[in-house]
Order: sequence, then structure tokens, then C-alpha cells
Amino acid sequence: MRYGYYPGCSLEGISVEYDESMRRLFERLEVTIEDLPDWICCGTLAAPSLSPLLGLATPLWNVARAKREGYDRLIAPCSACLYHFKHAAKRVAENAALRAEVEAVLEMPLAAPPPIIHPLELLAADAFEPRIRGSVQRDLSDLKVVCYYGCHISRPAAVMQFDDPENPQSMDRLLSWVGVQVLDWPGKVDCCGAHFSMIKPGIVVDLCARLFEAALEAGADAIVVACPMCHANLDTRQDEIAAKLSWPLRMPVLYFSQVLGYAMGLPAERLGFQRHIVDPVPLMVAKCQQRMKDEG
Amino acid sequence: MAFRHEIEALSGHAARVNLCFQCSKCSAGCPLADKMDLQPAQVMHSIRLGREEAVLNSRAIWLCLGCETCSARCPQQVEPAAAMNAARIIALRRGIKPSVKEIGVYYRGFVDNMRLNGKIHDASVAGITQLLTGQLIESLPLAWKLVVRGRVKPPPLPLGGGRFRRLYNNVLAKEKGH
Repeated sequence: MRYGYYPGCSLEGISVEYDESMRRLFERLEVTIEDLPDWICCGTLAAPSLSPLLGLATPLWNVARAKREGYDRLIAPCSACLYHFKHAAKRVAENAALRAEVEAVLEMPLAAPPPIIHPLELLAADAFEPRIRGSVQRDLSDLKVVCYYGCHISRPAAVMQFDDPENPQSMDRLLSWVGVQVLDWPGKVDCCGAHFSMIKPGIVVDLCARLFEAALEAGADAIVVACPMCHANLDTRQDEIAAKLSWPLRMPVLYFSQVLGYAMGLPAERLGFQRHIVDPVPLMVAKCQQRMKDEG
Repeated sequence: MAFRHEIEALSGHAARVNLCFQCSKCSAGCPLADKMDLQPAQVMHSIRLGREEAVLNSRAIWLCLGCETCSARCPQQVEPAAAMNAARIIALRRGIKPSVKEIGVYYRGFVDNMRLNGKIHDASVAGITQLLTGQLIESLPLAWKLVVRGRVKPPPLPLGGGRFRRLYNNVLAKEKGH
């Protein structure tokens, strides 16, 4: 199986630690990924707001490129990129005339593209369970987390066709395999405000405040995410959220790839823990009982 | 073309406006409903009534984050998020200024940045949007924290935009032809 990898713009910038930890995790699990050559931005909501054809052609450029490379799967760790790929691919799969129009713009064929998946979809599959359970080297059984999936990993179901759109379980499963205590909570698929962080930060503070309230009520030590925008909003705006909620708030927000990598014994700095605004190292060190498994 | 048909055509017929029976589940689940002037169910009803001006000048269509909660929960498989996106396109085509100015500035700046390198440089898009919308000063402390943590890269030289500009020009040529 050949896996193409599309990091997306955020993973080259504000979410570089997601990219670092994802690559380390794949190395640790001996999953070979190939970077999609010459990839372009998915266009997110900006391209389709300016032109419907541009909104389809921009994400599909990458899908057509992945097809040309001959990948069996294209992995997109950013759930916004993932959504725009899958949405556009579905639109042209259902409409041959539209596909021809987009192919003319792309100057590349689009028939039978590889499935596009989130890394959760790859790793939470049953086939990976023994490998992931068998790689654990740190005991994180005192760590209590809530899994925050945000908008597009499983929603809308007709497009994403993965996990449950209202109560997804894939990340919960993965983290429980490495021994973390995963708590149930009502915030799993609520919206964090996404790109409004750059334009209407007050809205992001409002939406994220609700998430932290729910996470604290559930008794979580940390929130675990699988999307660069969820992470940026929850990690960078806690001072403003604390002021709004009138109580002190310092809750680490980690990518699932960082928690898995840490449980598998990778050093914190290789997973990018030092890049967070809310430093997760004290929590992880306190919760980790450092009982290293026998090497053999 | 009636306004409703225009919305449906631009959404690839995902909007299916006429199937809406006003249960308002979309408004109930929308994370931004309390900040919208027209709630999602009202946007859908306004489209059916042909209230073009009200829809195209609303804050609602620009406040829509595209989280798809409305579309996911609709019992009639209507996609309000797709209707909102179509309304944004029509508003821009008619030269109607986005009623939430910052969001229009951001979307335009985003695509302009893509033209330079194919990818965006997130810090440039954020910085330019914040400069043009008068929010640069208050965002500087956070920007600095991100710089020292290695989460802001220097902007790349604009050398890699050729493939996206070619695509963009092909789209423009195609749309002019229509």
C-alpha cells in the first residue's frame, strides 16, 4: 500500500508540531509515507466563496496529482483540507459533465482517484491495534483526556463517510489502546471557530470557552485534537478565555499524534511539545509513571 | 433566473431549498446563530421568498463558518451551508460588499496569497488581514509568542505559484466563456 501525504499550509506554519509528531509516529509504526510533490493549498472556504469552479479545481488539483503518483491512499491530517478534498471529489464523481469541466481546467484526468483519508482513519483500523498496543513504552494510565474531533473528521456523513458524525470514536479508541483514560464529554464535534481566529477572535473565544467549560466539567487534564485549527484556537487563546470565564485556565491541548508518540517513548522535543503556548510537559511528566517496559 | 434557482445552480443542487420545511434544526445547531441577523432557517425561507436583498446583505452569509452542522442534521437533506456559500458568490458577483468586512478581506487576501506560491504563508495572510481590518496591534503579542516557539516561518520567495496561477487563469477563462 502506497500512502501519499498532504501536510497542508498550517502544518508548515502555525501547526508545525502536528507535522513533526505525525512523521515521528509514522516512523515509529513503520508506515512509509510519501510527500505529495508540488502540492497546492486546498483553497479552504476562500476559493469556493470567490468561484464555484475554483472551489472545486483547487482541492482537486492535489487529488489528480495523487492519482498521477499512483498512491493507494492520500493522507490529509488537516480536517479542513480533508473535507474540501472529499467534498470536491464527491461532486465530480457524481457529475460527469462537471468532472470534464474540472479536468479541462486542471489539465489532468480525475477518474478513479485514490481515497482521501484522515490519519485517524488509517491508524484506528483494527489492523493497527496490535502494533499500537505493542509499541507502548510509557504508562499514561493516570492521564485523563477528552477527544475533540471538531467539524470535518466525520461531518457531514454523506461526504466524509467515516466514524459517527455526532459521537465519533476513532480517536477515543486509539488513545485507549495506549492506556490513556479517555472521558466522555458533549463537546466532541462542536465548532472552535476555525479561521475566525484571524478575523473575529471574539467569536473564537466564545466558542472555545464553551469547549473548555465542558472539558473541565468532564474532569479532563487535557484536550486531544486532530485538526490544526482546533489546536491553534484552543492553545493560543486561553488567556482571553480565562478572562471571559473569570477563572484561571491552563489546560494543555495536544495532537493525538503527540500523545501516541509520547506513549511510545518518543522524547517530548521530537514531538514539538516545546512549541505550545500552554506547555504540556509538566502535565505529561507528572502523569507518566516512567515505568519503561522491558526493552526485549 | 429566480433567486432560488440561482442559489441551487451555484451549490451544485446541494442546497435543495424547496425541500426545507422550516423545522429550524439548522438554527438550533448553528454555533453562530446567536450572532446572525438572519438565522439559517430564516436564510432558507428568505431564499424561497425571493428576498434577495435581505439575504445578500445579511451578516449571516458571511458569519457562516462552513462547519456543516446544519447540513449534517437536516431531516430533509437540505444543505444550508451550501446555500450560504452560493449566496456569498452571488453577493460578490453583484458587487455587494460583504456585510462582515473582515471576512471578505480575509477570503480575498487568502486567494491572492495562493497566487504567489500555490500554498499560503499563514502568518502573511493573518498579518495582512489584521492590518487591513485594524486589528494588527492587538494581535502582535500572540504573534511574538508564536515566533519564539518556531511556529511562524519567514515568508518564502514567491517562486512556486506558477501551477496555481495557471489553474486560476484557466478558471477565469472558462467563466468568461460562460
